[in-house]
Amino acid sequence: MSNSARQLWLLAAFSLAMMAAGLVWAAFETRLFLNALVWIKPFKFALSFAVLFATLAWAVDKMSAPAQSARTLRWTIAVLAAAFWFEMIYITLQAAQGVGSHYNTGDLYHGVMYSIMGVGAVSLVVGTGVIGWAMLRDTGAKVHEDLRFGIGVGFILSTVLTLITAATLSSMPGHFVGIPPTGAATIPFFGWSAAVGDLRPSHFLALHAMQAIPLLAWAVQGRASARAWIIGGSVGYSALTLALYAQALMGLPLVRL
Amino acid sequence: MSADDLFGLASAAVLPGWLILILAPRSHKLGGRWVWLDRIPALIIPFGLSALYTGLILAHFAGAEGGGFASIAQVRALFASDFGLLAGWVHYLAFDLMIGAVMASQMDKMGLSRLSQAPLLALIFLFGPLGAFLIWAPQGSLRVFGKGAAA
Repeated sequence: MSNSARQLWLLAAFSLAMMAAGLVWAAFETRLFLNALVWIKPFKFALSFAVLFATLAWAVDKMSAPAQSARTLRWTIAVLAAAFWFEMIYITLQAAQGVGSHYNTGDLYHGVMYSIMGVGAVSLVVGTGVIGWAMLRDTGAKVHEDLRFGIGVGFILSTVLTLITAATLSSMPGHFVGIPPTGAATIPFFGWSAAVGDLRPSHFLALHAMQAIPLLAWAVQGRASARAWIIGGSVGYSALTLALYAQALMGLPLVRL
Repeated sequence: MSADDLFGLASAAVLPGWLILILAPRSHKLGGRWVWLDRIPALIIPFGLSALYTGLILAHFAGAEGGGFASIAQVRALFASDFGLLAGWVHYLAFDLMIGAVMASQMDKMGLSRLSQAPLLALIFLFGPLGAFLIWAPQGSLRVFGKGAAA
């Protein structure tokens, strides 16, 4: 296995280890932050990172050897690793102190850390797009031409859509549009509001274009119409993401429970 | 020396060890003459601290009224005096650094980049077993899935 793919697989494995840490933490934790047990947020981020890095590792593993050892890719992976460790450790340490990480600008230290988290998040998102771009250009990749196209498009689309949703998220004081009444219904597991607008459903779809489009490409690869499927699917997926984004901005929940 | 002086000395003594583990190149990348560099955190500093611990514990463990290992109250009694607490702290410092050195070498074998090793080593420095817990799981999975050999 190439060193590039190895680093990404290891980051996926460390994300899983962070999830395991969250589960043992849960056995002893009773504190709540914004109505959720404090271990849940690091756990969800760890899950999200595990999926992100497993997807990236799989894609990089399919690249040709010269593409895997290209300087741009190696630096991109180093930036992703640095961003991962910073985000994961800061989110976890803040949660362990029962305080916020995102939107925590209570004093200079937390304000600076929140800003660095923003830089880290943008790095993760842009890094995904860079890997997608490298895949699009890597004609020697060890996958079907259509799947290579789907991976490249999916990764880049994920970057673009996430930058849109995340830019809005970070420009607001929180992820709600409206103020959910105390004890208002949320969507199980995800915790998204079922009472007022919540930007996280569209953010979720934006992030996961990087799995959805390659999966579609995998399903249709080899057909004469494969490219049309992938492009059409990408357009439809973008439209759905933007529709959920618009719905949230209008203050409407994903579903009202 | 007072317990406070020894505390400061022992705490300062581990820092070069951690800096070497986190920042310095590993001796196997530098050639045989540099083996001593790896040995500072793996052996030399833990050895010095173990010597300090040995002296402290022999001189003080019997003095703790109601001390023992059978209950929280007994263990608390062991750590009730400054010197008892100092011995316990030196134990942490010495063994965390030693484990840090072991883990650094295991992470090298996993082929993990030094960039990713640094935060894990810092976690061992601050929260010993927490860092080890995070490292062991991926290491085990590498072994299981046969991706252990460095490329």
